[in-house]
Amino acid sequence: MSIWQPSRHGAELSPGFVLHRRDYSNTSLLVELFVEGRGRLPAIAKGARRPRNPASALLQPFQPLWLGVSGRGEVRTLTRVEGEGPPLGLSGEVLFGGFYLNELLMRLLGRDDPHDRLFGIYRDTLVRLAEGFDLESGLRRFELDLLGELGYGLTLDREIGGHPVSADSWYLVEQDEGVRRVDFVPEVPLVSGGTLLALASGDSLVDGQRRESRTLLRRILAHHLGERPLRSRELYRQLHGSRSG
Amino acid sequence: MAERSLLNQLTGALRCLPGVGPKSAQRIAFHLLERDREGGLRLAHVMADAMTRIGRCRRCRTLTEHEVCAICANAQRDASLLCVVEQPSQVVAIEQAADYRGLYFVLGGRLSPLDGIGPDELGLGQLEDRLEEGIGELILAVSPTVEGTVTGQFIADRALSHGVRVTRIAQGVPLGGELESVDGGTLALAFAGRRDF
Repeated sequence: MSIWQPSRHGAELSPGFVLHRRDYSNTSLLVELFVEGRGRLPAIAKGARRPRNPASALLQPFQPLWLGVSGRGEVRTLTRVEGEGPPLGLSGEVLFGGFYLNELLMRLLGRDDPHDRLFGIYRDTLVRLAEGFDLESGLRRFELDLLGELGYGLTLDREIGGHPVSADSWYLVEQDEGVRRVDFVPEVPLVSGGTLLALASGDSLVDGQRRESRTLLRRILAHHLGERPLRSRELYRQLHGSRSG
Repeated sequence: MAERSLLNQLTGALRCLPGVGPKSAQRIAFHLLERDREGGLRLAHVMADAMTRIGRCRRCRTLTEHEVCAICANAQRDASLLCVVEQPSQVVAIEQAADYRGLYFVLGGRLSPLDGIGPDELGLGQLEDRLEEGIGELILAVSPTVEGTVTGQFIADRALSHGVRVTRIAQGVPLGGELESVDGGTLALAFAGRRDF
């Protein structure tokens, strides 16, 4: 099936999102886009910051868009922007969750690699978060899907030997080795079978499972993210800390 | 190679001005040299003076050559009102357009998780001090972008914990604007925030 959707104006537009934007020259924006059928790519939105240009209101994270992009250089030119609907209403903590997703994509996704399945997952995750689906469960689900899409998928409901994971046992999970049942307490935090099964099935996580799966995914993602910390996570912690203190 | 001539250096330096490319820079340089040396000298003096002496107001972080800016120092202003804006240029815009008699606080940007701009960069600790001093109403005039929303939420959170009333400037259809040319998001907000006629 073609990913190009004919628009009523005849131009070729694809669904997409803005992952990040920054001011460029006096009146333009430099946007990092995630476009269905094209993947992540940078583009210049010329004149988007001129007064009364509706593109500036549209070119924001979490706003479903129809995008027309032209050019073959590294940085494309944005030729058309239309809203695909109202912006996804993320607020409060969930908004930080959204920024976190965007930062993960910016850090882990190579440019110009379509990743169509991931695009759908990203959109669905945002929609679910906007609708009030549990934030942590949504983020973990996305992290696992992202790892899978990048070729680092984890099988969480089976041990290395093929044994099904049991909800009552404790397991060690390593990126390269998979899930291994252990009876001793190593340095690396263990994950309960119940958490692994909930993660594998995409169920909502309950209290203890949230912390376990957060620690697990953070450790696995750290392999791929390298030294540089995730800024959205840091900022969230900073704000959250000052909020509770 | 010959040293760059003074004229070249001047046109090169002028290009740091926003919107000034090589052509305009050359035109400005020739204009000043041929027709308005006095104006050019005056510009050079004021420019040097401004660049070295203008700093930030200790109270509101706007640009000023004094320790405290004229607005903060003005005892006639209503100190129970605090308007939070992103840039010093927005203070000027509000001063010119609105009949606002309160004080300001200039963030200098907005929280941007992906650019690593956090509370410290925006002087939110300083804003916290202002909240502790006690104010009646905090008016959020941050830009209606996603990042502006994050910033607003955070500040509102802090203000509410100090028992300060928080308001946000209205969003809607610009004067003289046609409804169909307004983007959907703005129109939706305008609709949601409608008022008795």
